[in-house]
Amino acid sequence: MTIVVDDAAILAEPSRPLPRRWLSRRLEPYVFVSPLLVLIGIFVLAPGLLTVVLMFFNVDILAGTWKFTGSRNIQQAIGRGEIANSIMVTIQYALLTVPASMVLGLLVALGINGLRVGGSFWRAAYFLPVAATLVAMSIVWRWMFLARRGLVDQTVGKWMGLTDWLNSSDLSLPAVAIVGNWQQIGFVAIVYLAGLAGVPKHLLEAARIDGASAWHRFWHVTWPALGPATVFAAVISSIQALRIFDTIATMTKGGPAGSSETLTYLLWKRGIYYFDIGGGAVVTVVLLAFALLATWIQKRASRRLERAGSR
Amino acid sequence: MTSRSTSPFAPGQIAIHLALAAGAVFMLLPFWLMIRAALTPEAEIFSGNMLTLGTVTLDNFRRVFAEVPIIRYYLNGIFVVVAIFLGQIVICVPAAYALARLHFAGRELSLWIVLGALMIPYQVTAIPVYVILAQFGLIDTRSALILPFVANAFGVFLLRQFFLAIPGSVFEAARLDGAGAFHMLFSVVLPMARPALVTFGIFSFVSHWNDYFWPSFVLRSDAAATIPFGIVRFLDAELGSDYGPQMAAATLAVLPLLAGFLLAQRQFINGIAMSAGQVE
Repeated sequence: MTIVVDDAAILAEPSRPLPRRWLSRRLEPYVFVSPLLVLIGIFVLAPGLLTVVLMFFNVDILAGTWKFTGSRNIQQAIGRGEIANSIMVTIQYALLTVPASMVLGLLVALGINGLRVGGSFWRAAYFLPVAATLVAMSIVWRWMFLARRGLVDQTVGKWMGLTDWLNSSDLSLPAVAIVGNWQQIGFVAIVYLAGLAGVPKHLLEAARIDGASAWHRFWHVTWPALGPATVFAAVISSIQALRIFDTIATMTKGGPAGSSETLTYLLWKRGIYYFDIGGGAVVTVVLLAFALLATWIQKRASRRLERAGSR
Repeated sequence: MTSRSTSPFAPGQIAIHLALAAGAVFMLLPFWLMIRAALTPEAEIFSGNMLTLGTVTLDNFRRVFAEVPIIRYYLNGIFVVVAIFLGQIVICVPAAYALARLHFAGRELSLWIVLGALMIPYQVTAIPVYVILAQFGLIDTRSALILPFVANAFGVFLLRQFFLAIPGSVFEAARLDGAGAFHMLFSVVLPMARPALVTFGIFSFVSHWNDYFWPSFVLRSDAAATIPFGIVRFLDAELGSDYGPQMAAATLAVLPLLAGFLLAQRQFINGIAMSAGQVE
């Protein structure tokens, strides 16, 4: 890349002497952009390539040795069955959190949107869990789910016989999912509230004059207008499910017997806890595939919405 | 939805309030239980109905301050969060300005790189970035918590959109006056970016203050620990089943952000809702 320094050619203003600057106009954009690109290269692009390399190596960070092991990491990851288990657990977690938090978040948003007074108070109340430090609140939830003496066992446990959630392989994931919903509902509600602000008022009014019931007004006017908000909320909740870590790490540590071991938690356990960098790289590739899948689905869904909108 | 003159006391309105209140009990219960247990003497935490406040004591907080280096966690957290945001301003504002308003060969390519980086969640780069930081001996340092987040593709994307919305003539005028590159940045671009930086700043502060995932990759001791990592580490090691102090520690961890949220609700909601934009 050759950079020619010729200020005068760009700025032909002969009446006034040009101020001397040590940075030419040609060079300026590169000075502004290159720090960003270098850092993205180091912390995003190079790691992306490095992951693929790491999959085929046995790396000892402390000794600084790299040993090529071919596809052994991948074979071991499949052989242990933990990847398949974590994919299933992650999908189950998504099924337990995405639909529920979307329906409840939409109901909260519709409620708040329909209020004459006090809407901002409820909005703050429902948003509070989103703003709170999740790992600290997980400590609180862990205590609420405490066997026998905790609030959940004292109430739900006595009424329905579901006790000791965090040490049960059937109930540990639902317990974490309850916290996930608790945190996600306010977020979804905010997305839907923004969507509701954009619902055409004149259409609602016209439907009302035509005598359409509240349900009909919702189904034929409000819901179609909320399309983009729905896609958005669905993708965010799914990505959130893919990223879930804090609650798992503090409440169940993936257990019992891997029953709540999501992909992100497995990533940490392999790479950091077992110090198995190659194994961690294999999990990373699976996680990346899911992340790209989510992005692809979002792109497709938004495109379909756009086409539907332009009909 | 009710644009007609409905009274705030109409039956429909009251019903909505009641339904929202019922749901809010679920949302707020953990907060109340946490504060209640934090203020209750250890021996009484599990007695009674667990909902009402009995004897009030600050002993639990005293124990946390005596046994947990929580002040250090706060200071580390503040240092890390401020350093990340300052770094993001220095790196992202000039880049976003150049990508929005300057013409140069390679602009298209740079934009594609930024958009590509935007699609990759940082969990995916965790293991390789950990390996890179380990090569430079940065494990268990505050630098390891700061460096990976300084070049934020999302911040660049957002600021670029913001600059594109400002008429180009504003920048042109300053340039024709002969403003040098850095003069231009500090006295024209930066002040103009302030509204976008406030929203982005809240997003950045909140997400890094709360972050537990990345610290649990690169930290080993509590020398560089921020609040989430430090608290969990200490609770598991020292306060195994002392639930009073545990809840007091959780309260202290949650307090700064909750206070910030209640003081600046609108900005907070905008800032956190922006994290959603990360996948756009």
